Amino acid sequence: MSETVDRERAIDRELTMSRAMVEAIATEMRDDEEVFYMGEDVADYGGIFDSTQGLREEFGYDRVMDVPISETAYLGAAVGAAQEGMRPIAELMFVDFFGVAMDQIYNQMAKNTYMSGGNVSVPMVLTAAVGGTYNDAAQHSQTLYGTFAHVPGMKVVVPSTAYEAKGLMHNAIRDDDPVVYMFHKRLMGIGWLPAPDGPKTPVPEEAYTIPFGSADVKREGADATIVTLGLHVHRALDAAESLSEAGIDAEVIDLRSLVPLDTDTIVESIEKTGALVVVDEDYRSYGVTGEIVASVADEALGALDAVERVAIPDVPIPYSRPLENEVVPDADDIEAAVTRTQ
Amino acid sequence: MAESDRVAVTLAEWPDDVDSDEGVVVNWFVREGGRADAGDSLCEVQIEKVSLDVYAPAAGRLTEVVVGEDGEFADGDTLAWMVPDGG
Amino acid sequence: MEGKQPAFDISAGPIPGELHLAAGQEAAGAGVCQHLRDDDTVTAPHRPHHVAIAKGVDLKRMTAEIFGRETGLGKGKGGHMHLFDPEVNFACSGIIAEGCPPAAGAALAAKKRNTDSVAVAYLGEGAIDQGAFLESLNFAAVRDLPVVFVIEDNDWAISMPKERVTDVEVGSDRADGFDMPGRRVDADDAVAVYDAAREAVGRARDRNGPTLLELQVHRRMGHFMGDPETYRPDEDQEAAAARDSIERLAEDLRAAGVDDARLSDLRADAEARVEEAIEWANEQPKPAPAAAHEDMWVNPGTGVTDSEPDFDLAGGDD
Repeated sequence: MSETVDRERAIDRELTMSRAMVEAIATEMRDDEEVFYMGEDVADYGGIFDSTQGLREEFGYDRVMDVPISETAYLGAAVGAAQEGMRPIAELMFVDFFGVAMDQIYNQMAKNTYMSGGNVSVPMVLTAAVGGTYNDAAQHSQTLYGTFAHVPGMKVVVPSTAYEAKGLMHNAIRDDDPVVYMFHKRLMGIGWLPAPDGPKTPVPEEAYTIPFGSADVKREGADATIVTLGLHVHRALDAAESLSEAGIDAEVIDLRSLVPLDTDTIVESIEKTGALVVVDEDYRSYGVTGEIVASVADEALGALDAVERVAIPDVPIPYSRPLENEVVPDADDIEAAVTRTQ
Repeated sequence: MAESDRVAVTLAEWPDDVDSDEGVVVNWFVREGGRADAGDSLCEVQIEKVSLDVYAPAAGRLTEVVVGEDGEFADGDTLAWMVPDGG
Repeated sequence: MEGKQPAFDISAGPIPGELHLAAGQEAAGAGVCQHLRDDDTVTAPHRPHHVAIAKGVDLKRMTAEIFGRETGLGKGKGGHMHLFDPEVNFACSGIIAEGCPPAAGAALAAKKRNTDSVAVAYLGEGAIDQGAFLESLNFAAVRDLPVVFVIEDNDWAISMPKERVTDVEVGSDRADGFDMPGRRVDADDAVAVYDAAREAVGRARDRNGPTLLELQVHRRMGHFMGDPETYRPDEDQEAAAARDSIERLAEDLRAAGVDDARLSDLRADAEARVEEAIEWANEQPKPAPAAAHEDMWVNPGTGVTDSEPDFDLAGGDD
């Protein structure tokens, strides 16, 4: 019996990232009638990447709304409903579909608070499935982290584990500001798109919030700093395992949040290691890798001995397996980059 | 605790609308040694395109995982063993 | 080349930028908004000031916002195209047809909350070819939302006359493609607008769905302040001046027995209010430069918490 004393404090239940995300949404929907979900195929289908599994069964078709293929209309409607004080969660089935509706996103959702001098708020969450690695080609495989982080006015978060998915979702729904919640398809734990080891983690039963603008050191190390997000947190951890066998001790920092960006945690790490490797599943130029390197250079140029940017090259993501594998960074690419800094 | 105290964790009902006799365990939600309450979802399995949860038959401790993630199983197979509380 | 210079320097005077004038379109604002309450939502485009006034937007703070002052509706951050007055649920925006989806969203909120408030989206006749408008019609119709879309047809989209860019002659005919009623008011007449709006707003309030209303109005001046309107024939400009809806309403009132002294008082009253607003706005301070960095969000960047929870997480694969 004595062994149960410690175990009771620990959390035994693990969830896939999709279940953790859904658990947060369901809890918030139970607590507040004004929270509702809208998206394509979110009701009976449960979201094509499992983002709403079981929600329609519990909350009905009015609160889990299937919308027409009409992103401008329904994302704009989410803005309008949010400005009336409701708390809509609106989903982009693939982040790549933002193009048809970007006006409502970056000119309304993101800017209305500022243009009104803070007199109006837009308490909505924009969820979006991101990422490739399953041969869905150029229009269905992007992450577009840089695009959403670049335009001012939206908070942007990217969970890499089930634990963070739930905590960030609770914060996103309760926050009165617009939050873009980008969930990687391959981390969700879907049968046809299996997740690597890593995103399925223990998840507390109770509700909890994780702050935005706070990066998490997933692995401590003294020789190099790998800064990354989403799927590549797990690829970086794999690379770090392999590197440690070669005697290189890598620190892995999971950004978790692009806007606000936690540069303090990164700078603290660089002051220890001097070697910065940024890994991003978005295009190389004018994006996350450049931003992180520049932010560190701004604050701690003297501490920087080496810099490596590992990202998708500036090409559309190709379809065929050897081509996609070439452009999307893997653990070997990360390992090679870290090795080059030593 | 005696072996006879343990309870098998199995899929409650094989779905009607599938042809296959075999399924795959996709995700375990509790590890060996972990606790669960009766009715908690212990794992998720997939039979053809149908995804189903497998639930804890009692409150207790999951002592042994028999079919791991990506492992195959047939109707009636024991997926894991649990020892109920108070046993 | 004659006419290529704007008629005056837009940086002189108290208004820092361009301005889209609504003179001549007053009937569309007044006739519809008379049926609306403070809790009804109105979205409007870049030429919104007649609608704002009719909706009851704070005139002084609207003027101060147009003048870019700190005490304006948006602290000087939005300007004349991005006016927000949450007290009366009014918002305008600068991208064509952009206000249509949020109006549908406000209507969606009213429906979800089971109240009888309605939403009205104003747009110009040049906007009826824009995706956001067409998608909003479908969304409103399929969801049966309490929203009225009001097309202000002033015949010109900057320099484009309607017939050169839109396939239908009657914009409200677009409703036929969407399972909602459409109606056009051919005369630039406040009373005719009022009657048509009573039906449309009433339909929404009674939870019988959306309506597409088209109203003939006349743009008395150019697209923007300073537009020399070289594209517009003189006869067209003269005809517009002759059909002014304010004069028309004055005629109606005289015919109904209201005397000139009373009409004079009404005008003087309105002018006094405007003068007072301008005077007040002119006295307002300009915002401090550092204020440009504020008000992006209403909550801190961290959201609703700034501390990490403290859990003992057993296991995990990392």
